[in-house]
Amino acid sequence: MAISSSVSTDAEAFRDSRDSQTVDQRRSSTETRANSETTARSMKSNSKPQNSQMSKLSVRDLNFYYGDFQAIKNVSLEIEAQKVTAFIGPSGCGKSSLLRCFNRIYELYPGHMATGEIRLNGRNVLDKKVDRNLLRSKIGMVFQKPTPFPMSVYDNIAFGVKLYERLRRHEMQERVEWSLKKAALWDEVKDKLDKSGASLSGGQQQRLCIARAIAVKPEVLLLDEPASALDPIASAKIEELVHELRTDYTVVIVTHNMQQAARVADDTAFFHLGEIIEFTDTDTLFTQPSEKRTEDYITGRYG
Amino acid sequence: MSAEMREANTDGPVFADHVSLGHYRRRRIIGVLGWTLCGGCFVLLAFAMLDILFKVLKGGLTAINLKVLTETTQGVSGGLLQAIEGTVVLTIGSVLIATPLSIGVGVYLSEHRNRFFSKVVRFMSDVLVGVPSIVLGLFGYVALVAGLGWHFSVLAGSITLAVMIIPYISRSVELALLAVPQSLRESAYALGASDASVVARVLIPRSASRIITGVLLGMALSMGETAPVIYTVGWSDYLWNGQVTHQSMGYLTYVIWSFIDQPYQSAHKLAFAAALLITGMVLLITVSTRFTTRYMTIQ
Repeated sequence: MAISSSVSTDAEAFRDSRDSQTVDQRRSSTETRANSETTARSMKSNSKPQNSQMSKLSVRDLNFYYGDFQAIKNVSLEIEAQKVTAFIGPSGCGKSSLLRCFNRIYELYPGHMATGEIRLNGRNVLDKKVDRNLLRSKIGMVFQKPTPFPMSVYDNIAFGVKLYERLRRHEMQERVEWSLKKAALWDEVKDKLDKSGASLSGGQQQRLCIARAIAVKPEVLLLDEPASALDPIASAKIEELVHELRTDYTVVIVTHNMQQAARVADDTAFFHLGEIIEFTDTDTLFTQPSEKRTEDYITGRYG
Repeated sequence: MSAEMREANTDGPVFADHVSLGHYRRRRIIGVLGWTLCGGCFVLLAFAMLDILFKVLKGGLTAINLKVLTETTQGVSGGLLQAIEGTVVLTIGSVLIATPLSIGVGVYLSEHRNRFFSKVVRFMSDVLVGVPSIVLGLFGYVALVAGLGWHFSVLAGSITLAVMIIPYISRSVELALLAVPQSLRESAYALGASDASVVARVLIPRSASRIITGVLLGMALSMGETAPVIYTVGWSDYLWNGQVTHQSMGYLTYVIWSFIDQPYQSAHKLAFAAALLITGMVLLITVSTRFTTRYMTIQ
């Protein structure tokens, strides 16, 4: 489809793929867990992103600027569908900046600017004609610190859903339950849906934020260091959850914790000074890195 | 070596050799001086406050009675019913006008802090805080009472008081919103929320207790003001008849300001009764802000 298509066509295109995605989701949820595991594994053996058929997000020549400072330099990469891709690298390497380009959240700040292309389902999301709020219905994001909204657990979930859909009461209830189950939080909060989101523990709050993002039914989930503010047990729960989410979503996770990347990610990209140094499947990156800088970083020699 | 000696001798010094005792003593003395200074300031403030409260209570309690609360003023005697009514109406009126405007201004200042227009507004709001309230009263008189052809009235007074408290309330709204973590805004925007829903559903509920505190303090400020009201509301012995732009009104601060000069015992008594009432009301509001911050925090 032409890039010059109007906003309304964009909106429709988003709507279409949203619906088809829902169907995908239903299908995949009927599959057994074992099945999806094998699929994921066989995909993994295919090594790297040459296969652009599989890619969900396709980044081409991306540059990102904080005013005069260039945080990302000519980055290109393919993020594959239904996989977990981790971005690792030292602070200030551009990994979070890249994540913030995917849903154009950087636009909140005047002076932040991205050039290049990020294609989602073939459309360049950086194009100003793509409505940023509709884009965000396709690409959800969870941040480092849990950020429950000042409302009940139920309303925290319903808030996002109501932005895009008109649901009947029971439909909304089903959606809330569905997303909380998906985020492995339902059993813990089903009796306190009307309690404030802030009354939950830190780990629960973070899963609430994930449930809130899922409830909108996005295709891509961006996780910006989602476990780094949590204790090890809560952190392990998030990791487990991320691992499971892979069957239905394309997950991109930024993390400072290399063990975490090794545990949850199918593919890992190592960033340094705004460039991708190495991007390959996680096992290879951590066991046989081809770049000296990658090796130095993962063995703790710098960073 | 020296460590061993210290262990052996239990009366030995319990500080390291390299510690300079002179330096340490100087630090201690400065610390004590600091504490004394703070304590002195506290005593001074507490004394001023307690002295005011004591004088007001002493004069007020002997003057106040049921008649003061149930009858209107007759010249310089009678009761204060219409003045109590006027103070309450003016305060509520000014807060009703000021609050929506202040929330709008505060949200703008906080969410667009670096825009040129924000800086201009912030500067002007600071200037407005510095304008003596009697000048605001004069402005109200010239612009509303005389300029628009109104009379001394509730609306003229409420608008003038609102102009006075808007900078305070809007600043407290601004600060309240600034205290909301940026990640909360980003989370809401990341879901695809519009500016309006982020402000109305996330930012304002999250900072509600601080905003209410700001409004209550503005209310207390407005209630205790005299000068702007003298110029815009006038004075009346009669109860308010509901007329908004042409009917002057009684209010408590006028009684304090004017009756204390009168050579009559009854006037003095009314002035002290009014002082007690206004102090009590302002105190009630100020104390209640403690509870809004404690119990009304919506997370």
